[in-house]
Amino acid sequence: MTESRNWPEKLDPIVEEFSACFDSMERYELLFQYAKRNSSPLLPEEWNEQNQVHGCQSRAHVSCSLDVEGNFIMRGGADAQIVQGLMAITSIAVNGMAPSYVSEMSPDFAEEMGIRSSLTPSRANGFLNMFKRVQEEAAILSGGD
Amino acid sequence: MHDLISYHHLRGMGIDVSLDVESIRADFPILKRKLPNGKQLVYFDNAATSQKPQCVIDSMSEYYSVYNSNAHRANHTLADEATTALEGARKSISTYFGTSPDQMVYTSGATEAINLVSYAWARENLSTDDVIVLTEMEHHADIVPWQQLSKEKGVEVRYVPIDIDSFTLDMDAFEVAVEGASLVCVVHTSNVLGIRNPIERIVELAHSQGARVLLDCAQSAPHERIRFDDSGVDFVAISAHKMGGPTGIGCLLIKKEVMGQMGPFMTGGSMIKTVSTDGSTFQEGHALFETGTPRIAEAIGWGAAVEWLEQFDMKDVHSHINRIASWTAEKISEIEGITVYGDSSRNDSSGAVSFLHNSIQSQDLAFLLDEGGFAVRTGHHCAQPLMDALGVPSTNRASFWLYNTMEEAEAFVTHLSDVVDRFSDK
Repeated sequence: MTESRNWPEKLDPIVEEFSACFDSMERYELLFQYAKRNSSPLLPEEWNEQNQVHGCQSRAHVSCSLDVEGNFIMRGGADAQIVQGLMAITSIAVNGMAPSYVSEMSPDFAEEMGIRSSLTPSRANGFLNMFKRVQEEAAILSGGD
Repeated sequence: MHDLISYHHLRGMGIDVSLDVESIRADFPILKRKLPNGKQLVYFDNAATSQKPQCVIDSMSEYYSVYNSNAHRANHTLADEATTALEGARKSISTYFGTSPDQMVYTSGATEAINLVSYAWARENLSTDDVIVLTEMEHHADIVPWQQLSKEKGVEVRYVPIDIDSFTLDMDAFEVAVEGASLVCVVHTSNVLGIRNPIERIVELAHSQGARVLLDCAQSAPHERIRFDDSGVDFVAISAHKMGGPTGIGCLLIKKEVMGQMGPFMTGGSMIKTVSTDGSTFQEGHALFETGTPRIAEAIGWGAAVEWLEQFDMKDVHSHINRIASWTAEKISEIEGITVYGDSSRNDSSGAVSFLHNSIQSQDLAFLLDEGGFAVRTGHHCAQPLMDALGVPSTNRASFWLYNTMEEAEAFVTHLSDVVDRFSDK
């Protein structure tokens, strides 16, 4: 898994935690827990048209910026806990990384966690749209190259 | 088939029997399906589209494998067979809906049927001084065409509200709104609430004002026999795919005296009589509104579906569905945090049960139900004005048809209870 992975090492324990779940319902319970303890939230009062992620069935918003050291910071919020949980895990993955790294990162970690396999392609679009938005903003913040 | 003969035999003897659901289910191969997670499929999304009996699948496959040809205007065997099947289906379908083939126009579904009224009748007959009455219960397909017409021709559009306590149409408000109206467009049965509107009264009030009535029967046609000629309604819009037929086909039924007031909608293909460089002449009757190559396979499939449905007394079908829906609505309303929208205890409800949980978002809940094998719909159900009236952005909706069982409903309630127990904010 780690040899071919294209995500930060700090995500490995989370990927393993999800992979070890007994079934998809347990996986969803874990995802709900991540949603509730989202450490990088975008609060509903900050949601607007500019930061809305389109293509999700639920409302989802993402805001990306750089910290004082030039590292990538993503904050996200959604009305659905499944999307919010995926945002929380994505923010753990990307926050503190170089924006150029984030722009090239793969979303495969979700599949490795067993999340995408429990989501049909149309459902995964919500996550993939959100991830694509993060990558696009990371590319812009890294200088557009 | 033996069981169905027994069922009819018993009915013929005057013995009150419920539907032979086990035999019905045997006609639907998809109902045996297991989902990728190993769970048995329980299909409760019938208001979106129904499953198809084997005879429908076979009829379409036979058309393509044995006599595929374009219908009309050809002198070879396959074309004759295709034309005979296409027009035979029109006969079966129109008879099923209590009218004649020349009053039935094939469309792509109820949405196109409503647009056909908007373009072919309303644009020919309505202008600035006219009023169209809609209800808050309408599907977007029965709202947007009229909003567009209003923009184009200045027609006034009035909306009749629902009584938020009973989830029924506010008929006092309807009586006021219909004054001076030229057209009343109303859904027969709400796709969200499952409520059947009092069409007989609506037709009476509309006609007393000289208004035409367009009835959206997309949801009601799978649940009750529409008797178009007896109904007094001027237009009826129907989709095949919610009543066992294929997707991509439906019809508009048109009262004879009204058909003559309509102009062409789309042009070309089958609706043409002659074309020269000086101009064109058009067919009359239903042929005027059927352009291009017909949806032959779909029409044949729909014909097979109504012939399959003919074997049942729709009152039995309705009472079977209603029993499951009212039981489910009652049981899930007892689950902490669940609110049910609609009154499924009414004996004229259609079998759609809309609900929300107060802490599990509707999309999340749909995923969690799907994990148990239960297919339900989530969203605004293309009825955003109704969602606004209910004060919610979306609902979950379980909707039933004749092949669903009480055992499935019991399993659904058990799984939903378990989901709420595990995932709700406590």
